[in-house]
Amino acid sequence: MAERKPGSAEADRAYLWRLHRILALYVAGVLGFLALMTWAEHQGLSRHWIGPIFLFLTVMVYAGIGVYGRTTDPEDYYVAGRRIPPMYNGMATAADWMSAASFISLSGALYLQGFSGTPGQAGGLAYLLGWTGGFCLVAMLIAPHLRAMGLYTVPDFFHVRFGGRWPRVIAALAAVLCSFTYVVAQIYGVGLIASRLTGVQFEIGIMLGLGGVLLCSFLGGMRAITWTQVAQYVVLLLAFMIPVSWLAYKQLGNPLAPLVYGAQISKIADLEAQLLDSPAEHQVVQAYLQRAKDFESRLQDVDAALEREREKGRERIRALRAQNADVGLIVSASRELAALPRDAAAARERWTREMRENYERARPLGGLPPHSQAYAGDPHGTPEEQRDYELTRRNFLALMFCLMVGTAGLPHLLTRYYTSPTVSAARASVGWSLFFIALLYLSAPALAVLVKFEVMQNLVGSSFEALPTWMAQWARVDSSLLSVEDVNGDGLIQFGEIRLGADLIMLATPELGGLPYVVSGLVAAGGLAAALSTADGLLLTISNALVRDLYFQDTRRQASPEQRVILTKFTLLAVALSAAFVAALKPSEILPMVSASFSLAASAFVPVMVLGIFWRGTTRQGAVAGMLGGLAITVYYMLSHVPAMQALPRWLLADGLWFGIQPISAGVFGVPCGLLVTLVVSWITRPAPPLPRIRSEM
Amino acid sequence: MPLQQPATRSADAEMAGPFPPDLHDVRHLWLKAGLLLLWALVSFGATYFARDLQVLVVGGWPLGYWIAAQGAVLVFIAIVVAYGWAMNRFERQDQQQREALERSAPPAEDRAHG
Repeated sequence: MAERKPGSAEADRAYLWRLHRILALYVAGVLGFLALMTWAEHQGLSRHWIGPIFLFLTVMVYAGIGVYGRTTDPEDYYVAGRRIPPMYNGMATAADWMSAASFISLSGALYLQGFSGTPGQAGGLAYLLGWTGGFCLVAMLIAPHLRAMGLYTVPDFFHVRFGGRWPRVIAALAAVLCSFTYVVAQIYGVGLIASRLTGVQFEIGIMLGLGGVLLCSFLGGMRAITWTQVAQYVVLLLAFMIPVSWLAYKQLGNPLAPLVYGAQISKIADLEAQLLDSPAEHQVVQAYLQRAKDFESRLQDVDAALEREREKGRERIRALRAQNADVGLIVSASRELAALPRDAAAARERWTREMRENYERARPLGGLPPHSQAYAGDPHGTPEEQRDYELTRRNFLALMFCLMVGTAGLPHLLTRYYTSPTVSAARASVGWSLFFIALLYLSAPALAVLVKFEVMQNLVGSSFEALPTWMAQWARVDSSLLSVEDVNGDGLIQFGEIRLGADLIMLATPELGGLPYVVSGLVAAGGLAAALSTADGLLLTISNALVRDLYFQDTRRQASPEQRVILTKFTLLAVALSAAFVAALKPSEILPMVSASFSLAASAFVPVMVLGIFWRGTTRQGAVAGMLGGLAITVYYMLSHVPAMQALPRWLLADGLWFGIQPISAGVFGVPCGLLVTLVVSWITRPAPPLPRIRSEM
Repeated sequence: MPLQQPATRSADAEMAGPFPPDLHDVRHLWLKAGLLLLWALVSFGATYFARDLQVLVVGGWPLGYWIAAQGAVLVFIAIVVAYGWAMNRFERQDQQQREALERSAPPAEDRAHG
């Protein structure tokens, strides 16, 4: 890919060379800092310091760039002065794109879900394909056309193309909706990393990370964010590549992981076969089955069971007291008693969940599908297996579709292409973005395979006595991230006894592979960079939509451009705080939240945008109806399957799963619906043909 | 060729009135259609038949897994690069044609070439 700068000015080339020099110096600086820290660790620098040093220094560097790039000039604030060369725009886009979900969760999801996930939860390589394939749509259908129009925000397109106020208002609201869902997931990731790295509470971790985000985006807008993101990309690429290369070198003698990990795939298949035959694993499965059955029997009569459990607890405390047992034992027994559900409703909910979890874990391989097998079930097996196969494949394709189309509709990504100097540079930018993203994405499945091999080969079968300390530390942060328990009581770790959360695997890889602690610090800094860079872009998009597209779209409100920028900055602050508040409630895992926002973006923007660009007949009414229709179907289908909504009357909710598609891929219904509605309404409201002759011919 | 769009479009005052999309060049549309077909084949086609492709093992890789984990991504990059290259070529050709016409038409507009 050659640089396609308009070859006019000598100044351009000098500018580009200056950027290259700065980048080279920066990379050298990061590597030098790593070497320094490694040396310091050898000299006996405490682990308690390494984490905070990484966290603090990286955030300070980003903030420094943010302060350096500060601006109140609207052209700079909204679109970075349209001066970013394609390669750097590609890097910034890659950092913007690769969120906490890509960096922290993707490898974990590939580890847990293998090729395609289970019938109930599609995933695995669908994420990888969806998050790269969407760029083909961006490159061909959307980005260059938007860039050619010389706009500032995505809702601007709807205003310019369709006129009137409603297209723009709806687009702005949809942009806020999907970006907000997305930003909550990022801030959750920031909190996760900061709390592990510094040992502070999750909520304080969120606040620390938020400070970093705000320092960059608050001061400098798009210009500062772009250069911060370039800096963050370098950190996150190094943070991903070093552990992967190390594991590959350790296991296969070649650090180029994506080229060589194929050899481990067949070994994992062999190990999986061994585990399926192992008697110890069967014991584990039986133990979980027993627990699940226990919960099931309690659920038969919740009130009596709850009373029985309470009585059992009191009995135990009495017995302990009678034999003058250790105070610690009595305290823990009474704590257990207090932890019992308060009433029957709570008990029913908790026991149902635990029953389901135990049934889940009672499946062979701890519920993980065989790693390289495409889709669950068997196309030539029993009807049950055939159905599983069909459902997994359908959900896999549906998820991939939503992620691809969602990519083409996410406002924070599309805004990035407004910053390139020309239309041709916008096309080149998309190419560079995909290249820089692929560097990391091609390594993610390699990491999943290498980690799985490491766990199956080395961790399984080792003794609980020798349990690595990092496992205990992570289990303390959040027990849903990691739990390991000697279920069958033989003192050895079985594969079925380990449960790793998707959000943990990348962060724990350095410790799993036995790397120096400095690399753990670097990985955490990389995760932080990924989450911060995406959060920056998203917050800017949200506040721009709120201020430019909603508040000021009314031309009567007069304000100087500087005043607008200042108002945008304060909106950004408010949005960031409310996102942090939602994230502190720990609503869900990172990946499902992010996928939901892709479905929303796909159905709200893409059909109308593509039709608006390629079909002259799209009318304003058609656009409004299409956006609302697509969004409505998607939101309705998602909300119908949220547990909290089950209280509503049955007839209001969608009737089960449509075609067995999971709610996460609701965009599969939203996109065609949006297309169809736009076409039909545009056709109905088409303006009268200017030439009456045509009509007379009919 | 100017480096930038007319940057004077600063505020949104001029963004009035709807405009229809410019007519798309037929060559551009064919290019897009061809590349999108390739895109769909590699992503949806190959993964639909992944289980059948899995039986073929090429260089230690089950083919279905390799396509989904690496091959498709490489093809995506190739598609985007090829598109950018071809569009630049078309635009250069158009530019030359226009120059040959010796500015009988108003100066070239920057928009409308995706």
